[in-house]
Amino acid sequence: MKNLLNRILKSSKLRSGLTLIITAAVLLELIAALQYMYAHRVLERELEHRAETEMTLKAILIKGTLQKTEQMLRDYSWDIIDALDNPDSVASELAFLVDNNREILSSGMAFVPNYYPSKGYWYEPFAKIENGKLICRQLGDESHDYTQLDFYNQALETGKPTWADPYVDVASNNVEDTLITTHSMPIIDKYGKLAGVFAIDVSLDWLSDTINARHAYPSSFDLLLTEGGDLVCRPKASHINAGDVSLVHQLINDSSVVRHKSQSGITTIIEFRSPYDGEKGYIFYANMKGKPHWQLAVACYEKEVYAPLKRMRLMLSLAMLAAMGLLGLIVYRTARSERRLHRAAVERERIGGELRIARNLQMSMLPVKYPAFPDRTDVDVRGLLMPAREVGGDLYDFFIRDEKLFFAIGDVSGKGVPSALVMAIAHALFYSTSSHESNPAYIMRDLNETASRNNDSNMFVTFFIGVLDLPTGRLRYCNAGHEIPIIIGKQLSLLPVEANLPLGIIGDFNYEVQEIILEPNSSLFLYTDGLTEAMDDEHLQFGLQRSMDALMPYCAMKNPSLEKMLESVRNEVNTFVDGADQSDDLTMLVISYTPKSETLVSHESITLTNDVSQVPDLNNFVTSFLSRLHVDASIEGQVKLAVEEAVVNVMNYAYPMGTQGSITLDAASDGTFLKFVITDSGKAFDPTEGGRVDTTLSAEERPIGGLGIFLVRELMDSINYERIDGKNILTLKKSINHK
Amino acid sequence: MKTRIEEMEGKIIATLEGELDTAAAMEVEKELQPLYENKGRDIVIECGKLEYIASSGLRILLGILKSTKAGGNKVTLRNMNDDIKNVFKMTGLINLFDIE
Repeated sequence: MKNLLNRILKSSKLRSGLTLIITAAVLLELIAALQYMYAHRVLERELEHRAETEMTLKAILIKGTLQKTEQMLRDYSWDIIDALDNPDSVASELAFLVDNNREILSSGMAFVPNYYPSKGYWYEPFAKIENGKLICRQLGDESHDYTQLDFYNQALETGKPTWADPYVDVASNNVEDTLITTHSMPIIDKYGKLAGVFAIDVSLDWLSDTINARHAYPSSFDLLLTEGGDLVCRPKASHINAGDVSLVHQLINDSSVVRHKSQSGITTIIEFRSPYDGEKGYIFYANMKGKPHWQLAVACYEKEVYAPLKRMRLMLSLAMLAAMGLLGLIVYRTARSERRLHRAAVERERIGGELRIARNLQMSMLPVKYPAFPDRTDVDVRGLLMPAREVGGDLYDFFIRDEKLFFAIGDVSGKGVPSALVMAIAHALFYSTSSHESNPAYIMRDLNETASRNNDSNMFVTFFIGVLDLPTGRLRYCNAGHEIPIIIGKQLSLLPVEANLPLGIIGDFNYEVQEIILEPNSSLFLYTDGLTEAMDDEHLQFGLQRSMDALMPYCAMKNPSLEKMLESVRNEVNTFVDGADQSDDLTMLVISYTPKSETLVSHESITLTNDVSQVPDLNNFVTSFLSRLHVDASIEGQVKLAVEEAVVNVMNYAYPMGTQGSITLDAASDGTFLKFVITDSGKAFDPTEGGRVDTTLSAEERPIGGLGIFLVRELMDSINYERIDGKNILTLKKSINHK
Repeated sequence: MKTRIEEMEGKIIATLEGELDTAAAMEVEKELQPLYENKGRDIVIECGKLEYIASSGLRILLGILKSTKAGGNKVTLRNMNDDIKNVFKMTGLINLFDIE
């Protein structure tokens, strides 16, 4: 939960989502509150309405029943008046009345004292049904002085039919207590004289039924009170708490209790709280219209009144909760998917960044400074690599060592990072192997062996290596399944090339060297299949012919701008593909060979045998040659040492031990540089493949030998080896122009 | 090419004179053989009159250095001319010898 909260707080999307949910919740809660208030009001009115309806209905029922009794009293009063003449006939009227009206429990006629002198002071004939039998009696006597009783006095006082307060008849309690009331009216005889009070007693058992029937709310109960506040009729149902009934009764009679009129003004309302369970309730009460002046009260409990509201509120809360949950889920999922998108974008950005770095690395491995050899007039090289993706599987490289231009171009199957990695390895290998190996076939074999080893990804590399001997124009090369280079001379031609296998397929494939002489003022154009297989929208390939067409203008051109040459080919390709996606890396490399013929002013030579005892002769020859040229003394010392080392090297290694062979040293100069050419007919031996010395080693680690060729390299400007016509030709050059 | 070996103040002083080229190297190596077998003494090689040295000469000096250092002693090169010092610099050997 804490985690979730943290995540919510951290994510701006989720934060805004949370805000949304809270806002929605507040709004919904506000609406619900308004609805609640409104509904509460409605229910409040409904409560009053129901209570008043109940009361009105019950009052009508009560009155209806009572009216029958009133009617009966009125009807029989005429018979009584008629029977007044004979006191006994009054009694028989009563008996008839009681006998014929079951709802009448008893009836009596209480005569004013001494109305019939014959009957004495008190005379009250009385008829009643008891145990199913009609009993007629005269009740009035000293012990039953009816003139003191309410029914008598009230009737006389008002002069009208009167209802006495109900009472429980305990005297005739053979079954159960019966609630009884007495309806009485004064009787005036034919002479206008007050005869007495005619009364009928009716059972109020039906009242209880009426009171207890049909309530506004299930737990509601009704009370019937006399005008004076005595309880006439109490609820019978067992679920009604007696304490509540007493409280209600008491509150109605307690004038100090706060009460208010209902909206209709019909009823008075008192709030109460049940002593039984603390439930809040409302008492509605009102006087019944007309007589008797009874009060009818209805008590309702709030929980029932507002129960629907509570239910509604609960439902609403649940619905709201569900809605909030749903909203939350939607927000969370939206935020999550957005976060996922964002993360993916970040990842893409990161990969993009890494690819850019990889591209920069790859590009940094390529020679990028142009002109490539500003100090040289005999050769110029320029390359261009356009990766299809950020990083490509193409490569080119070139450098000059010992007056030889080493160059290579390659293409790894596939594109992207893996190809670029393989290419980087091939590149590094090419560079390191070329530093001590001048034969392109050997370099190629070395690369192939490494590429084939652990080639789990089955990536193969097409590669072309060339070594151009700059003094002679001899181009030795080796191909490993790469595109055929184009020679741009007086006309265009293809370099005669063995296809061979690409690198990485057969580890011990026997790559052989090929060679031609590259004519002065011609160029060699190399490329990857990204050029010839560049496709337009209709998958038509650029092809070799279009490539050659693009190069055609550069035939026989003196000192062509290599930059423009590559640019024009690139433009041709771009025009051809016309905006179609570049599907493969496109790489071009062009080498222009423009050697100047040397005009040598001094030329001397000496021939020696492979015997180091001739070294003093060699040194004398060199010293005298240099002194004639007036070469600076320090240069003289350096050149002498370099030539001795080079010649001694040949003496030691060109011919097998014990055989004699000759070594010729040609010394020449044009006044600006010195040139020494050492020629022998011994076995092929390239001293430039050695001569690398780690000058930082300690005395213990330092090998004794190997310093000779190292010194030649250090002391001369260039060293160049060629084997031509069965001869080893080693050329040393040094400038004597003092800058 | 001349060589001379002396003992002075507990040190061996070897004096080289002339041009130590490849042709001379074999002879010089023989003459300096005692320096290889030297035990417990420092070696000073006097180069004041050494005019030239080829890589074969450097090999001899490096050989002497190795055996002397193995015995815990040092080899000092004294009075080298600029050209020769330059060769020692070029080859990195200058860092291995004591130079005076």
